Amino acid sequence: MQPDLERELIRKCKAGDARFYEPLVRAYEPAGLRLAVAMMGNDQDAQDALQEAFIKTYDTLHRYDLRRPFGPWFFQILRNQCRDMLRSRKAKFKVEALDERLEQRPADVERGPERSRQRNAAREMLWQGLELIGTEHREILVLKELEGFRYTEIAQILEIPEGTVASRLYHARHALRDALLGLNVEYP
Amino acid sequence: MAPRVSSDDLMRYLDGEMPPEERARVDTELSTSTELQRELAIFRALKADFRELSFNAAEYGESVWDRVNERVTRPIGWILVAAGATVWTSYGTYIFATSSTNPWEKLATGAIAIGILMLLASVIWERYRELQNDPYRDVHR
Repeated sequence: MQPDLERELIRKCKAGDARFYEPLVRAYEPAGLRLAVAMMGNDQDAQDALQEAFIKTYDTLHRYDLRRPFGPWFFQILRNQCRDMLRSRKAKFKVEALDERLEQRPADVERGPERSRQRNAAREMLWQGLELIGTEHREILVLKELEGFRYTEIAQILEIPEGTVASRLYHARHALRDALLGLNVEYP
Repeated sequence: MAPRVSSDDLMRYLDGEMPPEERARVDTELSTSTELQRELAIFRALKADFRELSFNAAEYGESVWDRVNERVTRPIGWILVAAGATVWTSYGTYIFATSSTNPWEKLATGAIAIGILMLLASVIWERYRELQNDPYRDVHR
């Protein structure tokens, strides 16, 4: 979404017109859902977290500074919502039935069923590895690797100094590699 | 001897967060250190596997918008209903109180109205107390 359009929509929402919130929800829903699924591990809890995050975002729009980008601000709220839900007794990170949703890449299909099977197995192991590492490691990996955020954006979302992003990523990647080694997945 | 490429530098190199002159320095170090090359290869492989992990969010069915919309617009509805009810009740009370109706009729009607309001308030309070103490209140579906 164009930043100018986004700002205009937020301005109208801040003025109390909820109709203008719909384009924002629809624009951020796919990426939000990806982050929430990766943090929560299952689609039901992810959708609940996403819904609550959108409501909290709307309720706190009066505090939002229009000069700042909306995306990191929203993802910060979503990340906090996921963490709150994981902390509470409502949800626990648990990988459920994600295989069916994992996208079949055209390249896999072209290379035959064996390649597809191998890739699916690798993805499943990666999900299992994510399940084994802590929330702090998982969230930074998801923000970097699945959503492709820059370090400045990650720092804003996670509310940490930009200088510590690289260090957090290093430890998270190491933790994931160790978890995968524990699952007998060898890396070069 | 301390490594000349720190773990933070390696991450910034891997993630493309490094200016060209620093990248050139890391490239030089990489060309001479098999240990560094191996570590970078591991992280690159992990990164590649993550790219395979993307999934299609559209397959998750219906959007959350309907539920979000319901929740963000509901308070406005309640405020309007409450405001309208308050205005009509005040106006009705004023008309009734200043009318030429027999004082006994006013008193009896007032008692009924106040009684109904008290009963309604006690039921709402009771439900609220029950909800606060309900151990299953956070259980969904």
